[in-house]
Amino acid sequence: MFIRLQNLSRRFGGVQALRGVSLDLDVGEIHALCGENGAGKSTLIKILCGIVVPDEGSMLVGGVPLAAGDVQARARAGVAVIHQESAAFPDLDAVDNIYVGRELRSRFFGLDRREMERRTRGLLERLGEDFDPRVPLSRRTVAQRQMVALARALSCECRFLIMDEPTAALSRRETETLFRIVGQLRADGVGILYVSHRMEEIYQLADRITVLRDGQFVCTDTPAALPRRMLIQRMVGRDAGERERAPARVEGPGATVLRVRGLTGERFRDVTLDIREGEIVGLAGLVGAGRSEVARAIFGVDPWLAGGVEVAGMPLWPGDVQAAIRAGVALVPEDRQHEGLVLAMTIGENITLAILDTLVSGPFLAGAPEDAAAREMIRQLGIKAPGPGLPAHALSGGNQQKVVLAKWLAARPRVLILDEPTKGVDVGAKAEVYRLVRELAAKGMGVLMISSDLPEVLQLSDRILVMSEGRLRGELPGATATQEEVLALALPDAMGVGHA
Amino acid sequence: MRRMWEVHRHEFVLAALLAGLLVGAGILDPLFVAGATQLKLSENIWEMAILALPMTLIIITGGIDLSVGSTMALATVAFGLGVKAGVPFWGAAVVALVVAGGAGWANGWLVTRLRVHPLLITLASLAAYRGLAEGLSRGQPVTPLPAMFCRLAGVVSGVPLPALYFAVLVVIAGLFLHRTPHGRFLRAMGYQERAAVFSGIPVARLRTILHAMAGLMAGFAALIYAARRNTANPEAGLGIELDVISAVVVGGTDIMGGSGSMLGTLLGVLLIHEAREFVNWRWSSAELNMVVIGALLIFSVIAHRLLAPRGRG
Repeated sequence: MFIRLQNLSRRFGGVQALRGVSLDLDVGEIHALCGENGAGKSTLIKILCGIVVPDEGSMLVGGVPLAAGDVQARARAGVAVIHQESAAFPDLDAVDNIYVGRELRSRFFGLDRREMERRTRGLLERLGEDFDPRVPLSRRTVAQRQMVALARALSCECRFLIMDEPTAALSRRETETLFRIVGQLRADGVGILYVSHRMEEIYQLADRITVLRDGQFVCTDTPAALPRRMLIQRMVGRDAGERERAPARVEGPGATVLRVRGLTGERFRDVTLDIREGEIVGLAGLVGAGRSEVARAIFGVDPWLAGGVEVAGMPLWPGDVQAAIRAGVALVPEDRQHEGLVLAMTIGENITLAILDTLVSGPFLAGAPEDAAAREMIRQLGIKAPGPGLPAHALSGGNQQKVVLAKWLAARPRVLILDEPTKGVDVGAKAEVYRLVRELAAKGMGVLMISSDLPEVLQLSDRILVMSEGRLRGELPGATATQEEVLALALPDAMGVGHA
Repeated sequence: MRRMWEVHRHEFVLAALLAGLLVGAGILDPLFVAGATQLKLSENIWEMAILALPMTLIIITGGIDLSVGSTMALATVAFGLGVKAGVPFWGAAVVALVVAGGAGWANGWLVTRLRVHPLLITLASLAAYRGLAEGLSRGQPVTPLPAMFCRLAGVVSGVPLPALYFAVLVVIAGLFLHRTPHGRFLRAMGYQERAAVFSGIPVARLRTILHAMAGLMAGFAALIYAARRNTANPEAGLGIELDVISAVVVGGTDIMGGSGSMLGTLLGVLLIHEAREFVNWRWSSAELNMVVIGALLIFSVIAHRLLAPRGRG
């Protein structure tokens, strides 16, 4: 056994995040860690990295106990991490990010920048990337940043690699490259702890699967001994049921609530679309196709350059969020930690933030209605929290996402735009989000859903719009579309569809 | 009671510290805590106290305003020039308030338009407004001022009138911060500006308004300053911004934005005022004074750390 975790427990305020978990991790194998949000995966990983100190329990690497909370000791022992939202220095370039903290020295005092650059290019090449490593990371795509994080881990010659949702922001092609590298690492004798919510990936990669639930160890098994349905059952503690295609809608389409005409911005061109009451429209495409940019422009946080947007017949102004919200537009953004939530504020304060103007008596906040509104949303969405007074950062990813949803549902929007609503959300919570979206549409809300999870788009959408390189490439009926059809539209054509 | 302690730990500690200071000072020198002495010494608190109110709001949004002292000077000079030109004092006062409010609004406009940290903008206007004030007045104070005007900062049946003005303002500021939706918006901005924008909070507009309010309050403080001394001096408010910021931070407002309270600011202002006046009273030493304020700041930061609810961040 390379890493041995013994009886780890950790409490955060009123929440027992981890309860006596023991786990053995070996080199030369890929070990998948599964569990719903709030199951304790993040806490376990943070303890592994030394960011969180356990209340009880110990961690041995190669038989030697490691001091809890000593990040450097883990690096020395050959344990490296790639985080969910790769923690990097956005103003530094790839070379600096890879070598930060252990720069190569030249013979005379200074840094051996040339050698570091040479090695960086080598590492990136190994990962199938050929971008300029001297450009600050802030100007690279999320996927490229992820590759830089992976390159950093490779450069450490580490013996054990922890990967937390590494594919969450990657396109299909980039995911394939990542899998190839991961397989190669295993063959080289590196151990990998792999955390992902994507079932396909787990069965494609894992040698062993460990399931956590409510902070407790449930089981460790081989994929063969733990088929998909059983795995989901173990994770949720009940039979959640697999994905089923939404039944074709019976009732006729309602009136148009969102009308977008020739919308053009810096990263998208000439986007025209309609959304009717009660309709769920999926917006598919690769990461970087311009989908989020369109959503942000409609919502008014980014201005647009040309074209127009109407909500229920009312024209919106470019870059005017307040007008968009008054007209009935809501956006659940992709980056819930920075854009969706004020993490330091309480659940209740977050839920009522967008409707606070209505919860007043005279000029002052009316405490009771606010509390009631927050509690009602917590109940409706099944947010797992003792009450509205808990700070939002104490919640797991899935529950945080529900708080963002709650914030906008409380505003009773006509048009709900969801940007990657199930990113980093576990199976059980995903199913709840789907149910909720369907319910909202059934009540007459128009939903525009951006998602990189194709099965999800196919499952939920009445219609599917596909974007590629900043343009709408086509529309498919949700009832009959296949993954292949969507992908065919989403992949930028090498011959250049845009220039035809 | 337990909940009171949970929420207001910092304020309790400040109140205890203030009480301790006054008791200690009273033992060392009973004359210092006598009513007449305190009344006399209170003359020095009002400008700092009034400026601390908008400063608290600005710091809660994650901003800062270094130019309030210079804006005071600008308003004082505007008032003095008006009086010298024969404008009735209330007319000159209105001009002074408009000038000061405009100066603050210009800060806010630049901060939101250029998207630069307010530290940079107000560092620039700290110099610019002071220079403008010195230039317009050629460094000359205007004195004496109309007697009617000076009476507005006087004492009526034992109560200094500036205390009344401040009492009204602090109540308004406290209610605004803790009881209105906008107070909540300011905290959201301070904690996570992106999320505030994505929640439809008019972040840029609020920031501009806050800086304009800071300017307006600087104008008001300038009038009190002038009335109190019977002179409109371009030296008004020199270095006061650091006292004000110190008072706000000692009061428990997080310099990184997000959290803070008006009660804390009120206690911070009192604590700095009493500590400073006592040092002056007993040892009349300006150097020691600075050390005391520095020590209070450090103490406040440590107290804040130790008392902060656990498990945050």
